[in-house]
Amino acid sequence: MTQDLRYSALKKTPFHSRTSLASRTNKYYNWNGYTVPTEYSTTELEYTAARNGTSVMDLTPMGKYEIIGDHAHQFVDYLVTRDLSKMKDNTVAYIIWCNEDGKVIDDGTIFKFSSTKFMLCCAVKIYNWLNDSAYGFDVTITDVTDTIAALAIQGPTSCSTLKKFGATDLETLKPFEMREYKIDGFDILISRTGFTGDLGYELWTEPKNAETTWDNIEIAGKELKLRPFGMYALEMTRIEAGFIQTNTDFMAAEDSLRPTRMRSPYEIGMGWLVHLNKNSYFVGKKALKKEKEENTTERCLVGLDIDGDKPAHGSVIYNSKKEDIGIVTAALWSPIMKKNIALASLKRPYGIKIKENIFAEIYHPEELEYRKIWARCKVVKRQFFNPERRNKVPADLYE
Amino acid sequence: MSGNSSFDAIIIGGGHNGLVCANVLARKNKRVLICEARKECGGMVSNDITNYVPPVTSAVSSSIGGMQINYIPKTTIALSETGQHIRLVGNQHIDHKSISTFSSHDADRFNDFHEKMSKFSKTLGSFMMASPPRIMNNSFSDYFKLFKLGLNVRLLGKKNFNEFARMIGLNIADELEDNFENTLLQGLIAHDSVIGSNLGPRSPGSLINLLYRMAIHNNSLFGGIFQIEGGNDQFTKHLIEKCKSNNVEIKTSASVKNCIIENDCAVGVELKNGEKMYAKKIISNADPRSTYFSLLGSQNLDTDVKRKIKHHRSKGRVAKLILELDKLPSFNNCDDNDLDSRMVVAPSIDYIEETFNPSKFDKLSLEPTLEICVKKDSDQNPKLDIQVQYAPYKTYQGWENIKESYVESIIRIISKYAPNINEYIERKKLLTPDDIELEYNVSGGHWHHGEIQIDQLFMMRPIPGASQYKTHLDGLFMCGAGTHPGGGLTGISGKNAAKAVLDDF
Repeated sequence: MTQDLRYSALKKTPFHSRTSLASRTNKYYNWNGYTVPTEYSTTELEYTAARNGTSVMDLTPMGKYEIIGDHAHQFVDYLVTRDLSKMKDNTVAYIIWCNEDGKVIDDGTIFKFSSTKFMLCCAVKIYNWLNDSAYGFDVTITDVTDTIAALAIQGPTSCSTLKKFGATDLETLKPFEMREYKIDGFDILISRTGFTGDLGYELWTEPKNAETTWDNIEIAGKELKLRPFGMYALEMTRIEAGFIQTNTDFMAAEDSLRPTRMRSPYEIGMGWLVHLNKNSYFVGKKALKKEKEENTTERCLVGLDIDGDKPAHGSVIYNSKKEDIGIVTAALWSPIMKKNIALASLKRPYGIKIKENIFAEIYHPEELEYRKIWARCKVVKRQFFNPERRNKVPADLYE
Repeated sequence: MSGNSSFDAIIIGGGHNGLVCANVLARKNKRVLICEARKECGGMVSNDITNYVPPVTSAVSSSIGGMQINYIPKTTIALSETGQHIRLVGNQHIDHKSISTFSSHDADRFNDFHEKMSKFSKTLGSFMMASPPRIMNNSFSDYFKLFKLGLNVRLLGKKNFNEFARMIGLNIADELEDNFENTLLQGLIAHDSVIGSNLGPRSPGSLINLLYRMAIHNNSLFGGIFQIEGGNDQFTKHLIEKCKSNNVEIKTSASVKNCIIENDCAVGVELKNGEKMYAKKIISNADPRSTYFSLLGSQNLDTDVKRKIKHHRSKGRVAKLILELDKLPSFNNCDDNDLDSRMVVAPSIDYIEETFNPSKFDKLSLEPTLEICVKKDSDQNPKLDIQVQYAPYKTYQGWENIKESYVESIIRIISKYAPNINEYIERKKLLTPDDIELEYNVSGGHWHHGEIQIDQLFMMRPIPGASQYKTHLDGLFMCGAGTHPGGGLTGISGKNAAKAVLDDF
């Protein structure tokens, strides 16, 4: 589905002149055909800014699709597993979508402007899937990835930063709401959404406004511990928040070669996003209904609290009989929680009914030798970090 | 709602498969309603479309309690401009001069060729009568069916097995050129291989098309071609009478708008006039595309199913020309008996291929192949019913602009064989594939509701996942020619579908 980019030059985002100036390490990676920093200075510093100040990330490469037409609302409701029939204008919803076998293709967010205009954001490119799914609906789907510049402004002081930047009354914006602003003559859409599990916003505007916007936000956040942050720091924060990442915590159904690697929403902790009692049909409903009725869910995705302080990257998980019962998909020593945490995909009933006597085999690299650690794990809520300020209205303000 | 269904089954469309299906169900004490959009049942068995029919198999006939209709076997004549026509019935060339005058080599070869093809069509046919297996089902009977086909093919013997494997994807032109010298004979067999399809004689897969045709025509090249005494619509009339005696209710001029779906299950139909009717099972005799996109509705389909149905190839390339004459024409070198035969204008493989070529680009060839049927009822003017191939579904210039000149060019070709035909013509009527689509409610106007080719056969007909007469919606079935084994007016689809429905009760 993603195009083969090995031989083509990577594109620069509208913020590139600024992000490259901020980058001390020249570390970039390829995200959907764009080059964006993995790290600006040190990941630890960037992480600290995200948890204690404001962090700014260039989100432009995220797949963005505009869905316009008389059937837009109906189509979006058909595309995703969640019941969106009562979704209000100017709100955002977290969603997943499945294929006909009820296996998850990707997760993302859907922005509702009106019943005839939506925008869908997700990590990978899915134009073909949207277009094929839209057959029979009166909608037009446009890939607007290149025509909308996007920034994530996350962290406890993010609201204050954006207020200083010119977003008046932003503290009254509730989580998963969005508001259109006119700041310095630019049309800017701000949504209270994010991928760090903290107070945070996402900002959407035309590419021509990008550089000035970046500069003004940088000035606004000067006294508020603002720092650009890259993909590595984002990865840390999202694991703490318990958010899942496609092709890391589960294989996208359209990308995986082995049918046994595809996961249903119930297997990746996304059952709460599946509304089988939705009035209308949605893609994968038949298969998901069957899975639920016949109780054939095989795996689960859980949070693990692991003994010790060595992150369990890629560890195999065992039961007390040393039988292989799953694998760690993402792991981290969480600086803010002071805990060794991980997301793990386990074979049921482990993780659901059996939560004790689970062990991770950690191979900790120490100067060309591995130290093998047998660490006891506790199954916990995936949402490790969930501060009160995240959903507080009005949002916290700082001087 | 489904609790107070007044019917056990509603069949959407009263084509011959729908009628067969209704009778089978009714004979098992099911209350059946047929909703037919047109003024009368029968669909494309109509005299306007169908010239010749294959015999109904004993299995179909007995499943509905016997058919009392008389089949009249028809000779096939390959018309030659020189007047040296070839006349064939089954594996016989009925007048000795037929093939042997041109080539004694071909005359000998013909028997061997026929025997080989007949053997292969029987093998294929053994697989065609029952519902096809589904490999993903993991059911024993499905694996057994597949095993049986494999066994049947293997039991042909090593030599034939290899030959069968060689031929399955082959084009008919190569096979004919390897066997015969005479271009007229080559043209005739090639014509029958590609008729009703989107293939030229040199297209890969055109050979299996012929085997398929033979399998429903008594495993014979020219032997299973019939007309029904009193007109082909006697077939429909007979089925309707059966329906009446089996208490099947038939509603004509009742065009169905869509299925009524409750709890992800088909529970009834809504007519275009707003009337709603409920039943335990809904069976669609419509083509797969209409069934999925109109009756079921694209908002109720998974994306992958939409993709499959969109890929389903169902554009027809046969037009029908009906010429009403004030008197019987005479064809060069033909006697009265010959006028009663099936006359084919397809003088060579290259002629057909050249006709086929422009149709790939939505253009018309002015020298199409023709299958001419002379109809002479005592109380009516004589008529020529002509199947014209290849007439693309949509033409580059737009059908309305070229219909007239196209008809003229067809008549010009006929007049090479029947010189005075032009003087006798009283009325002309051309049904292009898009006319057939409109008049008979068949997407693409395809004879068989979808191409009969290797990607749309057996467990892939019409699409993988819906090959056992069930659609992707619970309670909704398909019984039309779009399902296995496909078109050809056999009624097998209708019978098999009825069995699938009964199994589901």
